[in-house]
Formats: sequence, structure tokens, C-alpha cells
Amino acid sequence: MTDVEKIKENLDYVSSAVRAGDSHGGIPALYFMWGALIAIGFALPDLAPQLAAPYWLIAGIGGGLFSWWWGARNARRQGVNDTALGRRYGLHWTIAGVAFLLCFLPLAAGRLPAETGATNFLLAAGLAYALAGVHLERPLLYSGLLMLAAYGVLVLLSPPYAWTLTGLVAGAGLVWAGLGRRAALRGGSVR
Amino acid sequence: MKALSGLDPILEHRVRLGICVLLARHEEISFSRFKEQLQVTDGNLGAQLRRLEEQGYIGLRRDFVERKPVTWYRLTAAGRQALDRHLDALRQLISAAE
Repeated sequence: MTDVEKIKENLDYVSSAVRAGDSHGGIPALYFMWGALIAIGFALPDLAPQLAAPYWLIAGIGGGLFSWWWGARNARRQGVNDTALGRRYGLHWTIAGVAFLLCFLPLAAGRLPAETGATNFLLAAGLAYALAGVHLERPLLYSGLLMLAAYGVLVLLSPPYAWTLTGLVAGAGLVWAGLGRRAALRGGSVR
Repeated sequence: MKALSGLDPILEHRVRLGICVLLARHEEISFSRFKEQLQVTDGNLGAQLRRLEEQGYIGLRRDFVERKPVTWYRLTAAGRQALDRHLDALRQLISAAE
């Protein structure tokens, strides 16, 4: 075997080893958890408005911290320790959290009717999830795009129970992503 | 050929090259993860890791994950430099062959 052929064979081996370890799909349980939290949380302004703020204060912060802990635990169990990647996740979702708070601002100030405000959350969520799909976990891209499509429909048609519909669409998008990820993991095609 | 002389003999072994490339992508990787990803035996992997450690290309630390002992490996600054030089030489070699 010539030197060049040997080098080529070695590089093929290394690239297949690298591909075997690629993991950009996330944890199905976290998709299901956020799907449920979002569907419930978005229905509250329509069904029990007095509970919406305390719910998001607890579910938003608690869910975020739990996701962080679970993600780090999962990575360590799989034998990878990557603080740079952890920081990237943290930064992305912190910025998304800030965007959600900014969506809440015109509602709190009474400058926007609640129905219109709901769609702003969907736009922010759609962007946050679609961009997470580009940079962090690919399945989130499709749920993000689904949320953005739903934003267009809600803005154009202004249906009743806009908050509830928004939450259901966002939650369904996440459950869809979680099911896809779980199927891929069970099929053994990804790690 | 000049590019051939730039190749690092330590990294010419595909398992050692694979270890360094994986460590360049992630901060720390465990022994069992390497074994799974590189598809090698415990003995072979241990020998290649030891060689890289003796050369100062990788460092290790021992830890417990869910009460099980885990050895974590990371690329040192010297290892990163050596990998960069080696990959550069490979690039030159490939472009010369094209």
C-alpha cells in the first residue's frame, strides 16, 4: 500500500469515527417536557389568566434549570464533557428567555391587546427554536418552522383562543421533534 | 516530499490521530466513549492513549460518574499544535497528489 493510500484509509477511519459520535438531536424527554409545559402555559391566559405569571415564573426558570442539569448529566453519562457547548446552549436559551420577557413587556404595559401579544410569543419561540435547530439540535429546526408557519396563520386569521392555539402548536411541534428523535435513537442510527 | 516530512510519526497511527481529532472537537472524552467511537479493544486503546500521554499530547483526570470510576482525556496545548501541524502536512500532501 502506498503512503497516500494509507493516509486516505486512515482519514476515512477518522472521519467515520467522528461522524459516529455526532450528536445534535437532543433528549426526547426534554422535548416532551417542554411540549407539555408550553401547551399548558400558553392555555392559561385564556383559561385562568391569574395563574399565567406564577406558572411561567416557576415552570420557565425551573424547567430551564432542570434542562441544563439533565443535559449535562446525559452528556457525562455518554462520556463527553464539553463546557463550551454547554455555554452555547446556555447563551442561546438565555437570549430566548430575554426575548420572551420582551414579548411580555407591551402586554404588561397595556400597550397591546392580549390576543395580539400571544402571537409575538409564537414568533419569538419560532425564531428561537428554528435557530436552535440550525446551531444546536437539528430536530428543533422543524418545530421552529412549524411555529413560524402557525404565526403567519394566526396573524392573518386572528382566531379565538389565540393563546391556547399558539401553545398547542408550539407544544405539538416539540412533541413531534421528540418523537422523531426517540425513533432515531431506538433505531440506533444516531447517538 | 516536504509535506511527508511534516507529518508527525505519533499521529500517523490512525487510532492516535482519531483520539486527537475527537479531543479537538470536545473538551473531554471518557475511555469508554473512545472505545465505542473508535471501535478498538481496551488493550489497543489503552496503549495508544498511553503513547499520546507520554508524548505530552493529552492529559487525563480521574473522576466518578454515578459512582463509577471514569477516566477523562483532554488535548494539551502541545497536542493541539502537533495536530494542527500534522493536518496541515496532510492537506499539503493531498493537494500535491491532486
